[in-house]
Amino acid sequence: MINPWMRYLVWPLVKFLVAFVIVQVIVAAMNYIERRLLGFMQARLGPNRVGPKGLFQIIADPIKFLLKEDIVPTSAETVAYFLGPMLPLIPAFIVFCLIPYGPPPTFVPTDTNIALLLIVALTSTGVYGIILGGWASNNKYSLMGGLRSAAQMVSYEVPFGLSIVGVLMLSGSFSLVKIIKYQEMHVWNLFPQLIAAFIFLVAMNAENNRTPFDLPEAESELVAGYHTEYSAMKFAFFMLAEYSSMTVNCCLMVSLFFGGWSLSLFGWGITTEGLSHLGVWGGLIGAAIFITKVMIFMLIYIWFRGTFPRFRFDQLMDLGWKWMIPLALVNIFVTGIVVLAMKDLKFNGEILLSIIGAATIAFTLFLLFRGARPAPAKVAHAR
Amino acid sequence: MLVEYPKPRWTEKFLLLDMFEGLKTTFREIFKPKVTIRYPEERLEPADRFRGMFRFSFDRCIACKLCAVACPIDIIYIDVHDEQREVDGKMKKLKVLDRYDIDVKRCMFCALCEEACPTKPKSIWLTTKTYELASYDRNDLYFNMQELEYWEDRPKYTGLPEEETPKQLRGDVE
Repeated sequence: MINPWMRYLVWPLVKFLVAFVIVQVIVAAMNYIERRLLGFMQARLGPNRVGPKGLFQIIADPIKFLLKEDIVPTSAETVAYFLGPMLPLIPAFIVFCLIPYGPPPTFVPTDTNIALLLIVALTSTGVYGIILGGWASNNKYSLMGGLRSAAQMVSYEVPFGLSIVGVLMLSGSFSLVKIIKYQEMHVWNLFPQLIAAFIFLVAMNAENNRTPFDLPEAESELVAGYHTEYSAMKFAFFMLAEYSSMTVNCCLMVSLFFGGWSLSLFGWGITTEGLSHLGVWGGLIGAAIFITKVMIFMLIYIWFRGTFPRFRFDQLMDLGWKWMIPLALVNIFVTGIVVLAMKDLKFNGEILLSIIGAATIAFTLFLLFRGARPAPAKVAHAR
Repeated sequence: MLVEYPKPRWTEKFLLLDMFEGLKTTFREIFKPKVTIRYPEERLEPADRFRGMFRFSFDRCIACKLCAVACPIDIIYIDVHDEQREVDGKMKKLKVLDRYDIDVKRCMFCALCEEACPTKPKSIWLTTKTYELASYDRNDLYFNMQELEYWEDRPKYTGLPEEETPKQLRGDVE
């Protein structure tokens, strides 16, 4: 019999700390990977000077941040200015104890039945720090960056939340562990919830102020947006919060739509039960699969950043309110009908949805890789 | 000129094919060769007509001062004296170069001096393809006759000076 103190306090804390350290290493590495990969996409090399292949940049950057002079503007609101970088860090870090990194119970710090709700609630509080920092800097560009961030976060919180609802209806639980277990017994939620997955991907980009939605820190318009006046460690805190919440959102994406630590279809393949036979090693394999999936999504973030140009602000709002939210509502409606049909008519609508989703993906890929695109551009001379 | 693009089909619009096409393009770009030149290790070879550092030939020079006349910013300093010398058994009056200095730090590399030089081949030319002329001391960029001819042998500058202020100045302060 385990001491309840051990069970509910010490073990979750240890697990959280281990996960936290691993995730922070990923975050630090992401900085380097992002700069390097973005460079490759732009036909240049990226950081390649410090150490072999520029790998020591991971260490050099934090050292630089620590040693740089920390400038506080004279006209800044001191308390709010200091709180600005701290506030987004707190929720971004707390959320890490709610993520299931591998098969339970070893690799799940805390498995609450409202994990998803908590995560959504916590991540959305990250915007306070940005607004506060932007306002306290006493700089019009910072303030505009903060306000933009606020408007954007509020707009995209809605499709972000709505896109999750479809998944919840299918799996019938807020617990991430249960959602993942549901997926390994059926299919990845990506297929029946293709629209939701797409909306989630777009909304999580917008939530984290990443390109193409990086209006709060649009260099060409707002200098650096809300962190214009921040330097040294405070700036690093903003970056840390951004990358941490990116990681959290990738973890969410993986556990909601891509089967978390499992690699299975209708219970065939690597499942929780299969992994439990292997003991700790099974758990490690599960965690490795989970982290690999998360890293793929982190790379997709960078890929998006290297590809898409920034939206105009009204386009951003249009996309959020006129397309994403109605689309998410339609998705919820359809999913609701399917769930009802599954319950009452014994009609397996989920399979139908999955087939439609898989067919859409296959058709897109077919169009994409069919070779030459049709009809080259015609050149007509002006009258 | 108007460019007429084909109208996308509704399937292509609906599936956001343009966006995926963009993603495909950037993904391919990752594996393509990069344009970056890592400077100290890799260098660009300048074109043949590139105007770089001067090279002067004392043997070819006839001390006509045409280059100094042609120079638009007058940074070529030439001193000449006449000398009676025996050439092929006869006494001849010859011009002898005493000084041929170029203040390279003010030069704009227009190569008018090279154009003006009447000797064949030119006794001053700029096609040395050398462009790494940066220096920590402006006086390093004042080249005299010998240095202009043998600047490759000049000791290369290594590292920052140990004392930033000259000793005389320090004496003044004390």
